[in-house]
Amino acid sequence: MKSANKFPRWQALLLLSICLVAALAPLLPLADYSSMQVSQQLVSPQFTSSPFLGTDAQGRDMLARLIYGARISLSVGIFGTLVALLIGVPFGAVAGLGSPRRDGLMMRLADALESIPMVVFILFMLSVLQEYRIELATVGFGRLQLFFVAIGVLFWLPTARVVRAECLRIKKKAFIDAAHSQGMSSLHIFRHHILPQLWPAIGSMLIITLPRVILMEAFLSFLGLGVEAPAVSWGRLASDGMATLNPLVDAGWLLYLPSIALVGCLLLFQRLASWARDYVNFDT
Amino acid sequence: MINLLRRLGFAVASVILVHALAFFMLHSTRGGPFESNQQFSEETIAALELRYHLDEPLLIQYWNSLQGVATLDFGPSLQYHGTSVQELLSAAMPISFILGGGALLIALLVGLAAGMFVATSNSRWRVTAVRLSGSALLATPNFVIAGILISVFAFGLGWVPVAGHRQLSSWILPCCALGLPLAAQLFVLIQHHAQQARNSNAYRSAVARGLSARRLNINYILRPSLTPVLAFMGPAAAGILTGSLVVEQIFSLPGLGTFFVQAALARDYTLALGVTVVYTAILASCTLVADVLIMKFDPRTEAIS
Repeated sequence: MKSANKFPRWQALLLLSICLVAALAPLLPLADYSSMQVSQQLVSPQFTSSPFLGTDAQGRDMLARLIYGARISLSVGIFGTLVALLIGVPFGAVAGLGSPRRDGLMMRLADALESIPMVVFILFMLSVLQEYRIELATVGFGRLQLFFVAIGVLFWLPTARVVRAECLRIKKKAFIDAAHSQGMSSLHIFRHHILPQLWPAIGSMLIITLPRVILMEAFLSFLGLGVEAPAVSWGRLASDGMATLNPLVDAGWLLYLPSIALVGCLLLFQRLASWARDYVNFDT
Repeated sequence: MINLLRRLGFAVASVILVHALAFFMLHSTRGGPFESNQQFSEETIAALELRYHLDEPLLIQYWNSLQGVATLDFGPSLQYHGTSVQELLSAAMPISFILGGGALLIALLVGLAAGMFVATSNSRWRVTAVRLSGSALLATPNFVIAGILISVFAFGLGWVPVAGHRQLSSWILPCCALGLPLAAQLFVLIQHHAQQARNSNAYRSAVARGLSARRLNINYILRPSLTPVLAFMGPAAAGILTGSLVVEQIFSLPGLGTFFVQAALARDYTLALGVTVVYTAILASCTLVADVLIMKFDPRTEAIS
């Protein structure tokens, strides 16, 4: 923990305000993000008068779409990351705190998983599960929830590695020996002596994984496996913009606006992530 | 040597594992590949299933499929009638390899150049500019980079064709779209190690001995940072695989990625399976080669593992 490593205050504040705008979107005086207006197709951004950021090929207001897109992109990022942590943290803890034999076995497994083209596999899984969408919907499992699971499966490995390394480090400390010698149960030691020390690592893995998840959402949206039609996310908007890319129609803002939003937000997250990485001092 | 054999075994095991997982996942889905075509009568479907051995018990199908993998014979494609998966793959593979190779070349050139520049330059704002564009590239999805490249260089300036793969110039944009994010990743990696090298005692003593700037840069900064570049090859291969799914579609290149996405969406079991197995094999061999090269170049790693 270097003192030179200052918390990126402005970046965090900016991100927080983006989240706030996204969260309060229904209360803001915005045009409806999904209503189509044929008379208003492909109006370029006016900046000073409505539509401020132009409209898309169906005459939908881009400003509203961007803000509603932020809702999905950010919540996908947060929940997807949480699922990844839910898998990664227990795996890492069980490996790191177990016997060397168990640890070696579990890490071998992680190595094997690493050499599998996971993304290909996830695509496979998502397209297969499309078949069961009606059944899954009845148990409350929509496209979004499936997506969270896929993200969790994709991104848990780095978290597991970091948590394992932290556990190995903490396990050797004298106060753990002391706790053992006082006859405390392993579970008690984990909850009261190890877990509190893991939080910084877990928190930084949250920040580090989040931008990757948002980027992955954009990737899957492009392939048509992201969020579904009336809902919008930045990735979906950008891939729609990509689809309207055409030398005859000048509609560059459809690609550039969501891209700027996406890239800007990810840059802010990256800054936070590099702070977090320095703060707990590990490489991923 | 034993280490090498173990790694080789690992690679083979991962191919078999992926094949098994993909096979059972595909076959457990409801709705065969012929069900979307409404014009088929039940008899036709039965005949087709008989022809493609889809009526046999699952385990026997699996065994046949595994044998096919061992002999690189993935059977006929269910979607493109009369064509074998092997033919499709061998037609698609050169395209994907050229694309991947070009992307890797761009990643190496741009990444190394940018990393060395940041480590050796004394101009602060230039370093900041390079760093910032590196971070921006890291945060940009592949398809957005492709879109920007297309709208600037193909539509705007008209320097290169938008799609196709007949001319050499049409490869430039796809390779850049695929390679630039990788270059950014490599840049971050190199920058870290190059700066470590610059702060090392070896570098300082070399400066004291009065070596020329060129020799300093090449022998004392570039060389020690090359081992991590080798270690980067595994993740780079994975990144190229993932990216090619998108980039090949945008530039309408009939490579592995395009086939895979189509096959997965159309439930062409044999083709999707074939591409997945090929992907896994490529990834596993890239990791293997990278590991071997690292051991060769940096004997310390062998001592550790």
